Amino acid sequence: MRFVTSHWIFSALLAAITIIVPVLNLAVPEGSALHIPTYAVSLFGKYLAFALLALAVDLIWGYCGILSLGHGAFFALGGYAMGMYLMRQIGDRGVYGNAELPDFMVFLNWQELPWYWYGFDNFFFAMAMVMLVPGLLAFIFGWFAFRSRVSGVYLSIITQAMTFALMLAFFRNDMGFGGNNGLTDFKELLGFDLRSQGMRAALFIASGGALLAGFLICRVIVTSKLGKILIGIRDAESRTRFLGYRVEHYKVFVFTVSAVMAGIAGALYVPQVGIINPGEFAPANSIEIVVWVALGGRGTLIGAIMGAVLVNMAKSYFTAAFPEIWLFALGGLFIAVTLFLPRGILGGISGSLNMLSARSRS
Amino acid sequence: MISRRNALNTLAAAALAAGVGIGAVPAKAAEDTIKVGVLHSLSGTMAISETTLKDSVLMMIDNLNKEGGLLGKKVEAVVVDPASNWPLFAEKARELIQVNKVDVVFGCWTSVSRKSVLPVFEELNGMLFYPVQYEGEESSRNVFYTGAAPNQQAIPAVEYLMSEDGGGAKRFVLLGTDYVYPRTTNKILRAFLHTKGIADADIMEEYTPFGHSDWQTIVANVKKFASQGIKTAVVSTINGDANVPFYKELGNQGIKAEDIPVVAFSVGEEELAGLDTTPLVGHLGAWNYFMSVDAPENDTFIKAWHAFIKDEKRVTNDPMEATYIGFKMWTQAVKQAGTTDVDAVRQAMYGQKVKNLTGGMAVMNANHHLSKPVLIGEIQEDGQFDVVWQTEGEVVGDAWSDFIPESAALTADWTYPWVCGNCKKPAFTN
Amino acid sequence: MLRRLLLPLLLLFASPAFADQTAELLEGLKAKSYAAKIAVVEKLAASGDARVVAPLTAMLNGRLHIRKSDGLIVVLEKKDGKRRFLNALTGEPLGPAKSRSSKKIRVNNRLRGVLRGALGSLTLFSTDPAQRLNAAQSMFKSAGADSLPALAKAYLNETNDGVREALARTLAAARLRHGTDEEKLAAAHILADYPDRGVRDLLAKTAQTAKGDLLVAVKQADASIEQRLAFFDILQNLFQGLSLGSVLLLAAIGLAITFGVMGVINMAHGEMVMLGAYTTHVVQVVMQQYYPGAITQSLLLSIPAAFLIAGLFGVFLERSVIRFLYGRPLETLLATWGLSLMLQQFVRSIFGPTNREVIAPSWMSGAIEITGGLVLTNNRICIIIFAVLVFLVLTLLIRYTDFGLRMRAVTQNRAMADAVGIRSSWVDALTFGLGSGVAGLAGVALSQIDNVSPNLGQGYIIDSFLVVVFGGVGNLWGTLVGALSLGMANKFLEPYAGAVLGKILILVLVILFIQKRPRGLFALKGRAAEA
Repeated sequence: MRFVTSHWIFSALLAAITIIVPVLNLAVPEGSALHIPTYAVSLFGKYLAFALLALAVDLIWGYCGILSLGHGAFFALGGYAMGMYLMRQIGDRGVYGNAELPDFMVFLNWQELPWYWYGFDNFFFAMAMVMLVPGLLAFIFGWFAFRSRVSGVYLSIITQAMTFALMLAFFRNDMGFGGNNGLTDFKELLGFDLRSQGMRAALFIASGGALLAGFLICRVIVTSKLGKILIGIRDAESRTRFLGYRVEHYKVFVFTVSAVMAGIAGALYVPQVGIINPGEFAPANSIEIVVWVALGGRGTLIGAIMGAVLVNMAKSYFTAAFPEIWLFALGGLFIAVTLFLPRGILGGISGSLNMLSARSRS
Repeated sequence: MISRRNALNTLAAAALAAGVGIGAVPAKAAEDTIKVGVLHSLSGTMAISETTLKDSVLMMIDNLNKEGGLLGKKVEAVVVDPASNWPLFAEKARELIQVNKVDVVFGCWTSVSRKSVLPVFEELNGMLFYPVQYEGEESSRNVFYTGAAPNQQAIPAVEYLMSEDGGGAKRFVLLGTDYVYPRTTNKILRAFLHTKGIADADIMEEYTPFGHSDWQTIVANVKKFASQGIKTAVVSTINGDANVPFYKELGNQGIKAEDIPVVAFSVGEEELAGLDTTPLVGHLGAWNYFMSVDAPENDTFIKAWHAFIKDEKRVTNDPMEATYIGFKMWTQAVKQAGTTDVDAVRQAMYGQKVKNLTGGMAVMNANHHLSKPVLIGEIQEDGQFDVVWQTEGEVVGDAWSDFIPESAALTADWTYPWVCGNCKKPAFTN
Repeated sequence: MLRRLLLPLLLLFASPAFADQTAELLEGLKAKSYAAKIAVVEKLAASGDARVVAPLTAMLNGRLHIRKSDGLIVVLEKKDGKRRFLNALTGEPLGPAKSRSSKKIRVNNRLRGVLRGALGSLTLFSTDPAQRLNAAQSMFKSAGADSLPALAKAYLNETNDGVREALARTLAAARLRHGTDEEKLAAAHILADYPDRGVRDLLAKTAQTAKGDLLVAVKQADASIEQRLAFFDILQNLFQGLSLGSVLLLAAIGLAITFGVMGVINMAHGEMVMLGAYTTHVVQVVMQQYYPGAITQSLLLSIPAAFLIAGLFGVFLERSVIRFLYGRPLETLLATWGLSLMLQQFVRSIFGPTNREVIAPSWMSGAIEITGGLVLTNNRICIIIFAVLVFLVLTLLIRYTDFGLRMRAVTQNRAMADAVGIRSSWVDALTFGLGSGVAGLAGVALSQIDNVSPNLGQGYIIDSFLVVVFGGVGNLWGTLVGALSLGMANKFLEPYAGAVLGKILILVLVILFIQKRPRGLFALKGRAAEA
């Protein structure tokens, strides 16, 4: 019972933040104590995108036992799809004034737009791609891997190999995605200036909304019968299989859903930070996502969200406050949490709450 | 301020919301200091190069304060760590300008980090000094480029290799890490070599991933390519980390500089410091500065650096000189303008002169690039470069290369009547 | 008889004038332009005065200076940290040298080539075979028409086989350039037996101007060399693959123990390698302090030192962090990731972010040239041998020692091992220490080919995991086969696909392979596999 209420409280809170923060930014005058600067809105919007990504990882890892060390790849692919749309929006306002080709293609002597860039002028096509590309990759990858019963660390390492291979591929300038520089210098989204305060608030609302939707969808999945089977797979895969469930189908399904969520997170992330480049594919990034989830509490959706937000806040704060030694603080935090809060921050809190309530009951 | 935090806290008891608070709390600016932002990676892959530049800026701020500061105020450094993470560069740039309210930023090394922060500086009208050699093809109103443009490094170096003194090379291997600086530089070089009558068959272009550590195949290929009876030279735009294993392989496979000289644009004293250079004597570097240059300004600078860093063995390099020139120019421009206001300082920057550490004068041009001398040096046993050739005077940095058709037509000039970084005609006409 | 008497007399008489002439010529080296210096060097070499060897050698090494006080050309000698000037021609000491009290006579690549050639012709008849060999080799590119008789004479008089071989090649090269038509033709045929890149270069150059019979002969020689070089290329590729494979093996084998045997997802493995590399650096710095020049010894000393330091650190780590996480392998990922961040920053704070130098002993630099087409670099040969040794010792240790037995017992069935009285917690600590120590050994090897920087470990961690998983977790032989096959595959793909695409292909191949064999190359069978 308590669990259900906390989930509604959290949703309400998230919805409230999604609305109130932009209001405080736009409606409250700048001098006021209640005003939230645009800078903070963007920054927090980024955290929300990361939170959605953490949610996606928690869905497969926390509830189905699939540890993906390559989820950054789906995030980055979604980001690239969005970036490509934003690139097309620049039109002839690039430095070379070429309406047909993005700047990086102009100076690398490309004569025409490669076929895979077609359609990205259209917002809805691009949004479809944001979900379709990561989803399809996850489906194909999962289909093969889960059918062959690749599991455990083997799966983790090949997902890592996947994101590493994609990183190397996107680094190549011949791929037509801007190489190491990636896609940047975006101007507009749907005709609105990306730099305007209103646009930033809108992106914040979109991120908050997407996170809320993602949270609710995950809730539905994990509390349904499907979710029970997923947990069964997580805890005893062979037994679930022997009970007659087609384990690989469930795994492929949840893996694909998770990848689509990651893709959407990437699409929300890119316009808020203004750049997407192959660095997002780096295996270290994917490991970091897992760290957020573990820190917040694996297998608790709220924990994953909190983990992502807290670690990134800590990072933003540490890199400015202790630029020379912040890695000690961050690394130390990871070790301390694993040692002293083995179920993550939220797991730790709810665990002690449970213990208290159990004690009071007895 | 406190009330804002309270308001937020009451608004959301959950930890989730506290995040807005962190971003929103600006470090309280003391009104009587001038703030200088330092945006160099102190961790991650680029820390190896960028940390030195952070220290250089700190040293110059230190010295400036000892001389009584600027405009009667103390100068204060605001150091952040963008951790070699490109989106984080943009975030930190925004934080420096909006939250810390810095007057100027010294920072960035890689092209992608510059591209990442560029929209932020343009949006918030900040001022960035970028101290590293780069691929050109850019001129922003908010950035001053104090490193070399391709025409101040790559082209003179290749001209030297083709000269009699340089060995008269007629066949070239263009070797680089696969990112925009090598790609663009090599594109410019290829076009340049074509104008000198060198055919595509005599140019080999090869790219490697970042941090490439196994050079056996490529070095063997270079040897193969070089044994066709035509004097061959290698032009290397290999980036940072990959250089040490590359040079080790080169030395071990016995490629002598007399046979196949390698000229590098990203290898300076700092990179050689981790290397036994005995087998590399004679390979070349092209820069606007070498530590070995015998000039009084240089001696003073090196002494100051050693005193600041408390290590007699630390070397100096070209991006340090670029940082030095940029910082000096900025202080002069601030003095001249009498304010740190970005628009006023920018106007005062044009035509600003600072003595190069190697002699001569560096001048800031209206295209936001410097006029600097170009030096070609050969690597010596002690890890230093010996200058074997240098330009007669200063070379004007060219934002838009003449060898790329699309960019040859563009002009960068931020003074009246142009006031534009990439235009075919002036913004204002009489 | 008369001539025999006269000659020394003549020399005696001529000698002062001779000396003056040489000294006068030497003054010409003060010229600014390299062309002028080259002319002077050529004249000096032609003078036949044996004393010019000293200043020319000094010049080649950047030791010939102009003293600022009186403009005298001197040789700067650096010995045991002391600097002094020597008279350029006579070698007579001229007192200590202060820094910046002299100006170096600059040398560039072109001049260096001329100097090498000149010194070659001057030392062609040296009593030291090594010097003669050097002379023969350095004259290969530069020998002019006037040195033909000297070369022929040297070749006929030569008794040392190696030098004779080199002289034959140089003589043929000189004849191909400057000889009579018959000599040229004969030279082309001789050169066909020297399958190396330098000869190909020369033949290609000759082919640009040659006509008639000579052109045919040159083309034939070129083709025969080409054919043999193509064969060598395959051998070279094999060697490169073997070498990359052994680097991967070294990097991965420690992980095969901590991750493969113990099941700890050890993200700090790369940093253990880095610790080993920094230990090598520190040992070298300390040794240089007390025993300057003992580079070989310090490298050998770093092997146990790196093993101990990384190993002890591993034990400490296991006792303080990892032991609380057994049975929760994924959480070891989190903790060791945090640890790897801290270690990187720790090293960065202590040693600074820049590369540290590790000097290679002379036997590890350079290469063995089987022929010019097949070059085996010494450091890579050493690393291959080292990797094989480490692997052997490790397998023997696990197979035959008491500790190995306990280790296998604990990993196979902990409860049973406890029951028969094995202190499994200590075995855990030692096993983790062993894995870390081996990673430290890898660091010693990698310090010879890669950067010693805080990022060193990061560059190898992904490859290491890939190798272990590809080979099959928990199996050292799998790691060996995995490392070698990935190394070979990479090196055979690289010439066709390029470095980047080659690497991508390897990753895709591994992913596909795992689909086929979901538990790696050498899968554990039975119950352990399901755990």
